[in-house]
Parts: sequence; C-alpha cells; structure tokens
Amino acid sequence: MKQADTPFDNPAARFEAGRMGMWLFLLVLAMLFGATILGYLVVRLDNGDAFIPIDAPSPPPILLASTIALMLSGFTMQRAVHAARIGDPRQGAMMMATLALAAVFLAAQALAWRELYQQNVTVSDNLYGWTFYVLTGLHAAHVLGGLPPMIVTAWRASHCAYNASNYRGVTYCAMYWHFLDGVWLVLYATLWFGSVR
Amino acid sequence: MTTLDARPISTPAPDNYLTHTRGLMSWVFTLDHKRIGVMYLFAVLSSFFVGGVMALLVRTKLLFPGEVSWMTADQYNKAFTLHGAIMVFLVIIPSVPAALGNFIMPIMLGAKDVAFPRLNLFSFYLWVLGAICAVWSLLAGGFDTGWTFYTPYSTQFSAGGTIPVLVGVFILGFSSIFTGLNFIVTIHKLRPPGMTWFRMPLFLWAIYATAIIQVLATPVLGITVALLVIERSFNIGIFDPSMGGDPVLFQHFFWFYSHPAVYIMVLPGMGIISDIIAVHSHRHIFGFRFIAFSSIAIAVFSFLVWGHHMFTSGQSPLMNVLFSAITFSVAIPSAVKVFNWLATLYKGSISLNTPMLYGLSFIFLFTIGGLTGIPLAVISTDIHLHDTYFVVAHFHYVMMGSALIAMIGGLHHWWPKMFGVMYSEFWGRIGCALVFVGFNITFFSQFMLGSQGMPRRYYQYQPEFQIYHHISTGGSYIMGLGFVITAIYLIHSLFAGKKAPANPWGGASLEWQCSSPPPHDNFATTPRVGDCYDFSAVRWDEKEQGYVVDTEAHIASANSGKGH
Repeated sequence: MKQADTPFDNPAARFEAGRMGMWLFLLVLAMLFGATILGYLVVRLDNGDAFIPIDAPSPPPILLASTIALMLSGFTMQRAVHAARIGDPRQGAMMMATLALAAVFLAAQALAWRELYQQNVTVSDNLYGWTFYVLTGLHAAHVLGGLPPMIVTAWRASHCAYNASNYRGVTYCAMYWHFLDGVWLVLYATLWFGSVR
Repeated sequence: MTTLDARPISTPAPDNYLTHTRGLMSWVFTLDHKRIGVMYLFAVLSSFFVGGVMALLVRTKLLFPGEVSWMTADQYNKAFTLHGAIMVFLVIIPSVPAALGNFIMPIMLGAKDVAFPRLNLFSFYLWVLGAICAVWSLLAGGFDTGWTFYTPYSTQFSAGGTIPVLVGVFILGFSSIFTGLNFIVTIHKLRPPGMTWFRMPLFLWAIYATAIIQVLATPVLGITVALLVIERSFNIGIFDPSMGGDPVLFQHFFWFYSHPAVYIMVLPGMGIISDIIAVHSHRHIFGFRFIAFSSIAIAVFSFLVWGHHMFTSGQSPLMNVLFSAITFSVAIPSAVKVFNWLATLYKGSISLNTPMLYGLSFIFLFTIGGLTGIPLAVISTDIHLHDTYFVVAHFHYVMMGSALIAMIGGLHHWWPKMFGVMYSEFWGRIGCALVFVGFNITFFSQFMLGSQGMPRRYYQYQPEFQIYHHISTGGSYIMGLGFVITAIYLIHSLFAGKKAPANPWGGASLEWQCSSPPPHDNFATTPRVGDCYDFSAVRWDEKEQGYVVDTEAHIASANSGKGH
C-alpha cells in the first residue's frame, strides 16, 4: 500500500519546507566543519612554527587544479538549476558535467595525497601530516557522500524530469554543492596559511 | 465548517493507526509518525531496562567496600560506563523528543505527519544502528572510559570496544540531529491556521528549543568522536600532547556538546510538565510567555556554560570566572519555570492522578537538582566537590529525577491516547510513590557521600562511607521495584485495560480532540484551534466517560482575548 510521504497538500509548501530542512542541514555541516577548523587552528597556533617539520613540503600545487574543477562544477550546477527551472532539456547535460567535474576534483585530491605520501608525509608521524589528511579527507568524504543523490538527480534530469512546477531535487543538490564549494575555499586557505612558517 | 473535525468527536474513526494496516512489514517500513514514535518508545524503554540493570549491579557492588568475587574492578568500570552511555545516548536523549514527541507533536499541531516522514524513519534506523554498535562494542571487549571518553585514556589505554562504541555515538548523534531538524521544520511549516507561536502548547515550545540545540551542538560531538576514532587508530591526533596536541581541547569539544545535551534531556521534560500541571489542575498555565521564552533562554545559555565542567582542568582563571558567572544565570530561566508552575497550581482544581504525581515529583526533584548545581558552579566549592558523589547525585536529580521522571509522567499522561486504554490508577500511584521515595533515598545519601569526599567511579572505598552506600543501594532497590510495578501494570493495561475516552484528563490541546488511539491521518480536515490552556469550554460528559470540548465556545473564548 502506498503511504503518503509528505504531510503537505501543496507542492509549493513542500518545496519551502524542503529548502528550510536543507538550510538546517547545511547549518549542521557548518558546525561540523567549523569545529574541525577550530581544532586545527588551536594546535597550529599552540605549536607555532614547530608545527611544521623541517623537511615538510607545502600543500601540493595540484590542489589548485582541484579548486578550479570544483569552482567550475559550481557553475555547471547553477546552470543545471536554471535549465531545470524552465524545463530546458540541457539540465541533464549540465548535471552530467557537474558529476564529471566532481570526479576530476576527487582525482586531483587523490593525486595530492599520493604526492605528499611519496614525500614521506604520513598520517601517523606528526600533526602536520595528520591534520592535512584529516581535513581534506573530511571534505572529500562529503563530496563522495553527495554523489549518490547527485547521480539520481542527474539520471532524472537526463530524462528532463524537472520543470517549473518541480525542480526540488536539483535545487537541494545545488545548495549542498555550493556549500561544499565554499567550505573547500576556506579549508584550502586555512591549510595554505597553516603551512607558512 | 463549524466543528473542529468533520467526524463527530464521540464516534471513533473506522480504524486507528494500530489497525490501519497489518503485518510486520507495515511497521518496519511505516512512515506514520505515530508508529515510529511507538517503535522508539519500545526501543528506548528496552534500553532503559538494560541501563537500569547495570545501575543495580553497580549499586550492589558498592554494598561492599573491598573487592568482591563476582565483579572485578575492570568489570565494574565497564558496568558503570555502559550504564552511563546507554542512559545518555540510547535512553534520555531520544526518550522525549523521538518517542513521545514523534507521537504527540504532529497531533498537537493538527498535522498529518512530521515534515519529512522518510527522514523520520531513517532517524529511527540510525538509532537502531547505533544500538547495534553498542552491542558490537560489548563483543569486542567492552569499554571502560566512563561516558565522557576523556583522552588520553580513551585513545591509548581503554578496553577494546572503545572504537565500536564511538562509531555508535557518532551514528546516534546523527539520528538525534535529523530528528531535531525534522521537528524545527514541522513546527515552522505545519502549524494550523490560528495557532500562532503564542497559542502553541508549551510542550512544542520545549521541543522546538531542544531541536535547536540538537541541530547546533550535536555535529560538534560527531566530529569529536570521529577525530577520537582516527586518533586511536593511528596513535596520533590533535588531542595527543606528545605530538603537540591538546587533551583539554577534547574536553572543550566534548562539553560544547554535552553540556547543551543536558538541556536536550531536560527541556522536553519541562515542556511535558507545563502541560501536565495545567491540564491536571484544570487551570490556565500561569505566565505562558515567560515559560515559553525561558525555554529559548535556556537553549541559548546552554551554549555558553560548557567550561564549568573544566574548572579543575587548567582553564585560565578568567575563563573560570566567566563560565561560573554565566552558569549562575541559568538559574534565572529555570526558576522562572518553577515559579510559574507553582503559580499555576495555586487555586487550581488539582487531580492527584498518576501523571500529576509525576509532575509534582518533577518540581520537587528538579528544584533539588537545580539548587545543588549552584555549589558546583562556585569555583571554590567545586574544587572540593569535583568528581565526587555530590556531582553524581546532582546530575541524577536533573537527568533522572527531572528528565526521566517527566518522561514517565508524560508516558502516563498520553498512554490513553497512544494505546486507547487506561492503566490502573491505583498501581500507578503506588509505582510513582515507590520511584519517588526510592529515588530520594538513593541519591540524597550520595550528596552526603560526596560532600564528605567520596570520589565517583571508585571500585573500593573507605569503610566509613559504607553506611551511606548501604542506604543508597537500598533506595535503588525500592526504585527498581517501582519501575517493575510500572512496567507490569502498563503492559497489563494493553491487554486488559479499560477503554480510554478521547479526553480522559480534560485537556484542551488538539491531541485530546481526536479519538484514542488516533486514526491513521490524525484529523480528517485541518482543525481550528483556540487557546490550548483555556479550560473554560471543557466539561465532563457522563455518556463518554471523558471530557469534551465545546469547540465553538473554546475558539470564541480565545478570540475574545480571555486566554492571555
């Protein structure tokens, strides 16, 4: 027997409630990332320059590439919302592009990890390595966790499922995605400044 | 539309939520907030039983000052840790919001369900997964850190089941977050026409304030235990002092959640008490706005006082003074509530039935619990009392004597609504009396112990403390007996209880205006609301053997401004 999965009779009210729920969820994640960054700052500032081992490399330059990929994916995501809103069939392509850029981002992060690992920066030697892997890993985990709903949304968008009367799914994905964009910029800046003596 | 509901209130709907669909799968995959609430209730009360058995084991060990053959020091550490962790994470935190709140809140709002029914079911299964992790931890060797998981003990020395239980706490945290998120949106978006914020039952105000804390504080616990797991796995982390980390940072993070969590536990209880006191004294709640805003004030203060757990952890003296001062200020909104409840009772027509007895117990126990917090907030006396039984007694008065007693009171208050049956009032009063007396014997003696210097968590103790431990353990057996009696008559009522009327106590809020048990969709049409604490249009109906509300008079009375 089909159960009612929403108490709202009116789709507009349902959308409003969904967006509010999404904002609250982003607030939850903001607290989570905020606490993590605060913890990083405490140990970074407590230890002064001793935090950075003598032979430690800076964050790998490939992070710049991942940053660009993530920013571009934010742009394609927003195009997807725009297309969905007017029922434009390009919504599918834009969602697919976003997914592809997300994959590029994750690959670049993995390469950055590999590069550091090859320079003997490991997770268990000092807090410099530990914090780098934990902070970037936490963010990557959220990107990875966002992919399943993004894939479902992209699948629906490629069938042009969204239009002016319903573009809920794309909107929720976009809110989450832009949030991760912003978090990455803050995180990247923090780690970069943290690596300067 | 002249009546509150298209169905006459006296005739029940063709079916109710319990009989609407049948079979195990209709429960496992249900999206109905009432069924999810009942599943939570069952899960929480089962955990309460396990946690209670652990407490009785610990109390029984403490009859003897030395070693006992049947419980080693290690087993003792694991028993009290398990007691604390189960009671906090599996019982008290979800007890009122997730179990009672899930059931009652949408009905109080006249809504069909919570805003996100699927998310609600997901929260429940996260709870189940968290509970499974706790069992996994026991199989992996148990955990003996105390429920606070302080580093470096938890990262380097504690028993083998520490990582599984931390994973469990992480998952339970997200269960709690999603419940809170769901409730905030529900209260914002699903209030019926006419129910302004200031006509909303105080239980909902309390649930709302609680949900804010759940959403803002719990993520910090989540990341803290996640970092702890990583640190334990790699033997290094930001809480590890040997590499430049900071163990006190862990305490800051932990208490940034766990102090507000105290209010996650007690605020919903305060909401229940506001409703119980008003309904069972048949008198308009006194100082509605003060009670409502004091809930919000407590939620705000809760974020600013975590440092009072760390007066002896090497915090700077300035921080100690600030945290001490802000901690005192929590007394203000708490006292506002207590005095408003007392003023509601004054000249009320008080029915001393079981929910009301629990309500009055709450006021008594919460007052003791709150006032004994003051010597703990004074830095100089806290140095002496820190980590003694005084602290144990204080937080049991608040968490158990207040939060849990309110939950049991609310359970009795809404039991007829939830299951459509009345329990034995006689045995209800006996059970409540035993719990109340047993509780005070158990924990008042611990104030004596603590003020004389008996440290908490110790397996062995000086012989001069033995008399107090004997009194305390005796009290815990009385309390245990009270809970066993309560469980027996409640279960008995499910099978043999008298059929409950829609409105057995004379309440005026919406949940009393749908049948008992409620139909699947709660209300056929969106109901109209008056002032939920205005009992002037509520009268006893001999034919119904319950109270009925004259809807038109009720709404007219609210609109004429008599309510507030």
